[in-house]
Amino acid sequence: MIQQYLLGALAGGVVTALVALAAHRLASARAMRRLRSEAERQVHTLTQAGDAQSELIGLHEQQTQALEASIAQLRTELTQQSASADEVRAELKAALEGKDQLAHKATQLAAEAARLKGLAGTFERWHEQMISLMTQNQDMHAKNRELSSIVRHVVIVSLNASIEAARAGTAGRGFAVVASEVRALAARSEELSKSYRDSLHRNDLTTTATFQDIQAGGKMITASLSSVESLANQFQSTLH
Amino acid sequence: MISAHAKDSIERIVFKAAKSRLTMDAGDVCEIVPAGAHGAHSLPDANLVVLTISGIAFRLLLIVHFDEDERTHQYFVKEESERAFLEVFLEICNLCCGAVNQELLNYFPDLGMSTPYVLSARCMPYLEALKPEFLASYAVTINNAIGLGATVCVCAHAPIDFVADVSAVEDTSGELELF
Repeated sequence: MIQQYLLGALAGGVVTALVALAAHRLASARAMRRLRSEAERQVHTLTQAGDAQSELIGLHEQQTQALEASIAQLRTELTQQSASADEVRAELKAALEGKDQLAHKATQLAAEAARLKGLAGTFERWHEQMISLMTQNQDMHAKNRELSSIVRHVVIVSLNASIEAARAGTAGRGFAVVASEVRALAARSEELSKSYRDSLHRNDLTTTATFQDIQAGGKMITASLSSVESLANQFQSTLH
Repeated sequence: MISAHAKDSIERIVFKAAKSRLTMDAGDVCEIVPAGAHGAHSLPDANLVVLTISGIAFRLLLIVHFDEDERTHQYFVKEESERAFLEVFLEICNLCCGAVNQELLNYFPDLGMSTPYVLSARCMPYLEALKPEFLASYAVTINNAIGLGATVCVCAHAPIDFVADVSAVEDTSGELELF
């Protein structure tokens, strides 16, 4: 009897176990399906995310390439710009050196013009010498007037001698010849004195005209040098 | 080498300078006629004041003839002045030549002027020795009483041709501008 009960219990247990196993398998199968579906969904999502990432990477690569290209272009341009900047710098330096040289030349020119203005002193010296020459001429005029006066006196004396010789008659004939000779010499002296006076007047005029020309020419040169000096100074000040 | 225009211009410049500078008062009348012309007095034969204007192409001698007589002395030296006649007269001649120089500077940029010097009128015949290309003498009468003379002697080293316009400034100076 007990065996039957045992067998019955055992059979019940086996049946329960089988049912439980079946129920467990069913539940496991459902869970598996759910899990698989979940996994598939996640895989799908991940695949989509991966595609999006790939697109992004491709885009970034394109952008990177474009940036590299523009960097290369900029680098080329920079090289060119720096080369032309060097050229401009060199030209500027040369121009500055040229300007300095010009300023130096302008200074030299102004100094030279200022120095040459000293020539005015030379012209004035010549003018003073003219005054000295003219004073000598005046002295010669005075001496010539004195000579002329003496000659006129000699003429009168010779005339008186001729008269006295005539009074003496034949005794005075020899003396008359001498008186006549003296009068002739006096006349020649008078002519010479007049000629000498004319020469002195001619000398006065040519001396005055020549030295005035020198004096006026000197002033002209001094004025021209002043304007050269002024222009050189103006040029110099515009360079600085 | 000196053109007729240039000679005429020099003459007009000298006339203008003489009329404005040789007179002591603005109202004084100064008449200038060529020496030897009808009605001209004979030139004073005592003294000359010589002045030179030099340029690159020419030199111009302006010669003023004068006699230091009583009337001339009284005209140029004021009674209250203690200055010597010659000092005053040289200054006047200097101003006259300065006016010529100033006018010529409009046509010739480089000019210089000498100081005046007094010579005897006996030197006049020897101006020919300077070989002038233009030589002219004028009788100058101030207020129908004072007799002076002026001689212009230009020696040229290059062709000279210019036309001076001296009348315009002279005529309008001192006038009111009514506009």
